[in-house]
Amino acid sequence: MIDWISIPLVAFPLIASMVLLAFVANGTERMRQRLVAPIRMACLIFSLVMLTITTGMFFRYFGDVSWMNIAFNDYEYHFIYSWVDTLGIHWAVGLDALSFPMVWLTTFLLPVTIIATWNEKYGATYFPLLLMMGGALIGVFVSLDLFMFYVFWELTLIPMFFLILKWGGKDRRYAAQKFFIYTFTASVIMLLGLITLYFLQDPYTLNYSGSMTGRSFSIPELIDNAKAGNVGDNWYLGAQMQKILFVMLMIGFLVKLPAVPFHTWLPDAHVQAPTGGSMLLAGVMLKMGAYGMFRLPISLFPHALYHFQLALMIIGMVSLVWGAIVCLGQTNLKKMVAYSSVSHMGVILIGIATMQPMGWAAALFMMFAHGIISPMLFAVCGAFKHHYHSMEIGAMRGMARHSPWLATSMMFGWMASLGLPLLAGFVAEIMMLIALWHMISLDGWSIWWMVGPALVLALTAAYYLWSMQRTIFEGGETGQPPEYLIGKPVPDISNSEKFAMLIMALFTILFGVMPWIGLDMMDDWTKQAFEGLIMFVGKGGA
Amino acid sequence: MSEIKHVEPFADGFISALGPEIIIFVGLILLIIVPNLGSGTVRIPGTQSRVMWLFGGNRFRLTSNPKLPAWITTLTLGAAFVQTMLSFQDGVDRTAIVTESGKQLMLVNGFSRVFELIFFGALTLAAFASMNRLEVKGVGPRLSTDDLYNNRRQADFYILMLTCGLGMSVVALAQDLFVLFIGLELASFSTYVLVAFYKESKAGTEAGMKYFIVGSVASGIGLYGLSMLYLWAGSLQFEVLASQFAIDGTEPLPLIAMGFVLVGFGFKVSAAPFHFAAPDAYAGASSPVAGILATASKAMGVIPLLRMLLIVASPEASEDGTVWLTLLGVLSIVTMTWGNIAALGSKNPKRMLAYSSVAHAGYMLAAITAIGAWNWDASLAGDGGEAAVAVLTALIFHLIVLVAFKLGAFLVLSILESDGDASRLSSLGGLAKREPFLAVAMFIFMISLAGVPPLAGFVSKLLVIMGIVKVAVGEIGAEIMAGGDLGLSDVHWVWWLAFAMVINSAISMYYYLRIGVVMFFDEAEEGRTGPLPTGWQVRFAVLACLMATLFLGVAGDKLLEICEVAAQSLNYDWD
Repeated sequence: MIDWISIPLVAFPLIASMVLLAFVANGTERMRQRLVAPIRMACLIFSLVMLTITTGMFFRYFGDVSWMNIAFNDYEYHFIYSWVDTLGIHWAVGLDALSFPMVWLTTFLLPVTIIATWNEKYGATYFPLLLMMGGALIGVFVSLDLFMFYVFWELTLIPMFFLILKWGGKDRRYAAQKFFIYTFTASVIMLLGLITLYFLQDPYTLNYSGSMTGRSFSIPELIDNAKAGNVGDNWYLGAQMQKILFVMLMIGFLVKLPAVPFHTWLPDAHVQAPTGGSMLLAGVMLKMGAYGMFRLPISLFPHALYHFQLALMIIGMVSLVWGAIVCLGQTNLKKMVAYSSVSHMGVILIGIATMQPMGWAAALFMMFAHGIISPMLFAVCGAFKHHYHSMEIGAMRGMARHSPWLATSMMFGWMASLGLPLLAGFVAEIMMLIALWHMISLDGWSIWWMVGPALVLALTAAYYLWSMQRTIFEGGETGQPPEYLIGKPVPDISNSEKFAMLIMALFTILFGVMPWIGLDMMDDWTKQAFEGLIMFVGKGGA
Repeated sequence: MSEIKHVEPFADGFISALGPEIIIFVGLILLIIVPNLGSGTVRIPGTQSRVMWLFGGNRFRLTSNPKLPAWITTLTLGAAFVQTMLSFQDGVDRTAIVTESGKQLMLVNGFSRVFELIFFGALTLAAFASMNRLEVKGVGPRLSTDDLYNNRRQADFYILMLTCGLGMSVVALAQDLFVLFIGLELASFSTYVLVAFYKESKAGTEAGMKYFIVGSVASGIGLYGLSMLYLWAGSLQFEVLASQFAIDGTEPLPLIAMGFVLVGFGFKVSAAPFHFAAPDAYAGASSPVAGILATASKAMGVIPLLRMLLIVASPEASEDGTVWLTLLGVLSIVTMTWGNIAALGSKNPKRMLAYSSVAHAGYMLAAITAIGAWNWDASLAGDGGEAAVAVLTALIFHLIVLVAFKLGAFLVLSILESDGDASRLSSLGGLAKREPFLAVAMFIFMISLAGVPPLAGFVSKLLVIMGIVKVAVGEIGAEIMAGGDLGLSDVHWVWWLAFAMVINSAISMYYYLRIGVVMFFDEAEEGRTGPLPTGWQVRFAVLACLMATLFLGVAGDKLLEICEVAAQSLNYDWD
């Protein structure tokens, strides 16, 4: 089989973007302006090629690969090349039903982001950075080697740092540095956990071990060993060690997710980031946290997962409720959307903590659905800012009167995010609720655990509808633009923005009406994972 | 591994064994002679005929070129570097230089060769980059007095560079504390003067003075310690000391002596609490020299630390490792935290880099502590010191790649210094607009220092952390596999050094990023918006550092193997 991942999806976007950046950075100002159009087009075309590849993978054009019935810890398009032999580091890539939706999502968002922010300033460096971001993100999802995983994990920070710093709002310096340091701190702790895990393996019994250390960085091998060690009441690596490592890895992923109380970097980063940065940040980068949880701590340490189930549930509930409450008080549109992301990430955590196959599938589908919806929200916010030079809710009213397209997109996005039936977000939320019921009825949890989600359903509707009311409606016959725009023409969103919104809306509807397109494989993965993990440790779900 | 060849000075094999040092010595002689060559003649007494005498008279166009000393030095050091490199080609021959009575003075092996690689590499780059630093005017036979003066200054500067390199390589080779001390002082005195050589700035002289006074006090204490060691063991040979230490190393006299000796060496690596002169020295020295202090000079300080702690006071399989273990562990945490916290508040990029260098000294001490703890587990001790070799490999790798990004950062500052000033953070402002290449390079050096993948700095930090964790975890993995339920309390406490390291990396992120922010997003200072001073040499050196930083991050495999060879050859008892 041909390796369709390493070069076209990971290496080429990274290298091409670096070459472009190096080329542009040394040019003159005039050259940079002249190059914007060709570079933008090249980046768009290339991201479309990537989208074609991943979509083709889905429809089995690139090798006969089934996304259903992939056994747990088995991977399609699995390729391994040696990299640093002394330490047992390999360039290992592969896809399964857990990572494939994320990879597809990244390749889907990349062209959409480019189109939505078609006229971003300093385009000659902006678009290559987006491409670089895409390559690094895909790298995280396809890595089957801990070292490689960590390298790409950190590599995503660099383009995002620059996106925030150069194209961001007023407090961009503070936001960019906070973002970088916060997530870096968490991930170095995770790194220490990974290294400790590395050395706890049985030396010289591994297939991919390094010549100097005798241990292996290979994720599949690690998971296999963990699976063999987690049978029945046996804890792989022993109870204490498993708990410690679980916590150390989770710190890295929870901060990235982010979960309350580690969420404070997110509102700052989002509010200050440019539209394109926010779209990728909310759409894919946050999901790195959830993806990482599934790939490593959950797969490796199911016993510890049970042990910390209550803690995770509490963190998830707090994120869910706290995010929603804070949203109510926001006057800044983008900040509200950012906090709503925190709330939605709470749904993912709750889904994981239910320890039901349905809950895990809900978490996976939430990752995917939120990945399509939240970029749309941020695109709306970006357009809002661009047209009204303000992000304040209520700075202008009656947007529907003078900018019908923007108002429609906003309304659609808001509705999708609050979980309107037949849209993608609803599927994930309802599944999470069902899983919660399963947990209550089957595992004997208190019914009070339903209070949080029930409350949040109302709160979410409240903050979204209220903000819509204050921006789209009211304002009399002609609407009421902000004072400094009175008398000036207020254009609607541009054609490229319309197009991008339309695409995202279409896919939101598609995955709302026919969720099984993606849900089937996620469902399958969770079943396989449950069979592979939870059944082994002697506990059962629904 | 081949047998050690014993060679007396100037006997057969002496020249081939000390190839790089001899190259430097020849370069030194050339550097003294060549710039003085001129058309001078001398009359043969009693006749009218004059013969070419070459000294005096008008100097030739070539020999009076102010850049000549720099070229001689660069080529000499480069040749020494290549020569060292070549010796790795097919396994390093192990040669000991012995006296007639059979005492080992120097030992050429993988370990010393790798350190020579570091010294010569760093010095070559610094010498090459300094070519643009010292004023170069008026090429040709007719030179004004000023030009001549400048030319002399050039020669002085580069002579010191070469003696510095010579001293450092003696330290790397020494098997006898006295030889080691001579090398150390030769290198130290050269660096004292090099620091003071930055005469364009008032801070230079002050820094040189401070560095000299503190440095010589530290050397004095170290020397006192040496004399006590001699009093105790009757010899300064590492071998003799080591065997003595194994017998009665817990007596107060050798311990006190050891403490004194370590003070002297601790100053060289700028470990807390002996680091106070370092920020002043780095900030006052011209940037390439500061770069040498932070890389080559630091590596030189690590050698005696390694030799004293791991060979002489080698951690025999005693219960808790050795006496110095706890002390060094605490010192390492203090050093890295102090360095990072001080760097957070520093507004002068050179001072900041100096504090970051202190922090890096802390990481190195942590690694040395871990090596000391390697046989805390009885089953590990039988493992051929594999864990110790892993940490030492990481440490050596760290010292090598440090040359790439630390020196590179100082060289970027050097260009700014020739533009006027680099002592304020704001002098980096607008660098991305003035010269994007330098800004990008500086940013990459910074995040490499912080340890962001996939750069060399990440790999080296990862290796050190991995080494420490390997030592700390020991055979616990196997015990767990056998059904034991062990937690962090069963892991050796050096694990927390790794924890301190990762937390410190996170702290350090802030000040490294700040440099990037200033370069890319601050406006240039008033009157400093124009292009930077030209000079391809320094830019070439920056480019070389940049390439090494990028390349060794993704493809450091070969270098790692070399480092492993070097690490194995430090202490043969580990085999």
